[in-house]
Amino acid sequence: MTASALEFKPESANSLMKEVMERSGQNLTACYQCRRCAAGCPVGEETGFVTPDLLIRMVAFGDREQALNNQLVWKCVSCYTCGTRCPNDIQTARITETIKKMSKEAHLEALNHKVAHFHKSFTDAGLGRGRVNEMAFMTFYEIKNTITEIKKLNFNNIYKELKQQSKLGLSLHKLKRMHFGFQSAKGRKELKRLYKMQDKIRG
Amino acid sequence: MDIAYYPGCSLHASSLLYDVQSRRIFNEIGIYLKEIEDWNCCGAISAGKVDDLLAVAMPARNLGIAESAGFSEMMIPCSACYSRTLVAQKALDEAPALKENINAELSKKIRGKIKVSSILEVLLTAVVSGDLAEKITKKLKGLKPVCYYGCLLTRFPQTVSVPDDVENPQGMEKILKVLGVNAIDWSYKTDCCGASAAINDEETGLKLMASIMGDAVAREANCFVTTCHMCQMNMDAYQERFCKKYDIPQRLPVYFITELIGVAMGLSPGELQIDRHFVESTRLLKELNLV
Repeated sequence: MTASALEFKPESANSLMKEVMERSGQNLTACYQCRRCAAGCPVGEETGFVTPDLLIRMVAFGDREQALNNQLVWKCVSCYTCGTRCPNDIQTARITETIKKMSKEAHLEALNHKVAHFHKSFTDAGLGRGRVNEMAFMTFYEIKNTITEIKKLNFNNIYKELKQQSKLGLSLHKLKRMHFGFQSAKGRKELKRLYKMQDKIRG
Repeated sequence: MDIAYYPGCSLHASSLLYDVQSRRIFNEIGIYLKEIEDWNCCGAISAGKVDDLLAVAMPARNLGIAESAGFSEMMIPCSACYSRTLVAQKALDEAPALKENINAELSKKIRGKIKVSSILEVLLTAVVSGDLAEKITKKLKGLKPVCYYGCLLTRFPQTVSVPDDVENPQGMEKILKVLGVNAIDWSYKTDCCGASAAINDEETGLKLMASIMGDAVAREANCFVTTCHMCQMNMDAYQERFCKKYDIPQRLPVYFITELIGVAMGLSPGELQIDRHFVESTRLLKELNLV
């Protein structure tokens, strides 16, 4: 995948920049495109030329479509190398994390649905019972994957995925690293109340 | 000395061995891990990608619990939990309004500043005091480990002060010296294994892991040492696959630092659950006459 030439869109540049900066807490205007972030990115070969500096530029140019729809957002492993090395303290991984949320709110299809399903299932599992139960979490994750693959008629992917995960599960079981006990935290109610109050806090 | 202990979900599940080893060796040193009551999931890296409030609120509740119990320090062995908790503490500190809103719903309020420590920080105090050296009964001669720190122990999404070098941390090397081991210098000590990419973006994950393995092999290491259970799980459980895919003939055990400390204390592999690794991990210790 290659990115097409960026076009400055003054009508959307301000609002996009403002939204990403506020939500990510990062000062994107400080970026002078030195590309230290790009040099250190461990998934740089997988992102189709979209490097952290280019992502910042997409946002600055107001190119909402490319900023919300590129491989870096979905390949980013949140290793925080880019931000740690940035001479201007911009944590680009916070930007990819923010854009994941924005892309979901805009009802865009995730470029890697497994990544989206994984983090949603994990957070739901942690909040739902107060603690993550690996078996339950993985089951929900795989159900979500399966549904997406069925919609895309990728039956071979379902077979490959389930085969791979059963193999891992079996090895974990053999090594006594699979736990069937159920863990939870009673105080999860407090967190759920907080989650509901979300809008109030944002407001 | 009593210290608050937050194990996190995985140390009560697939990485239970890390919990077992940690409790055992800290007990020997005279540091007693007191698991905080009714702790909840910290949200790990996922919460930050799904919901910004939860990413702070989930670890915040645990901080409140530990503080209410009167602890001044909490140790978190899991790198993701440690990172999330430390960053949440900083976020709460910088945003009093957010702290107030979260506190309003918490039965155990966040008050001041409990010190959030990684397992290395606590172990290093025992290195300085000499308490660790006192309990070592054998030197681990013949072990040639590379210390693998991974991402989350030194790099954070927010500026927080950490007591080790960001690009070239030395904590594990210092501990290993006490065990009579000189770790091998290498280039991938803080490189990313992909963490959840192993599950949700396999090709990327396997590639990252193979690069890490490749450097360890090139430097003639005979094992990895880590403190991160995700790095441990990935480098161990997927080793057969990424080595086959990238034509790497060697296989290396991936030890937790707690395992090696336990062995140097004279504890048995069974007691430390070293038999629960994917890559056979007791053989090397036996060959070197360490167990």
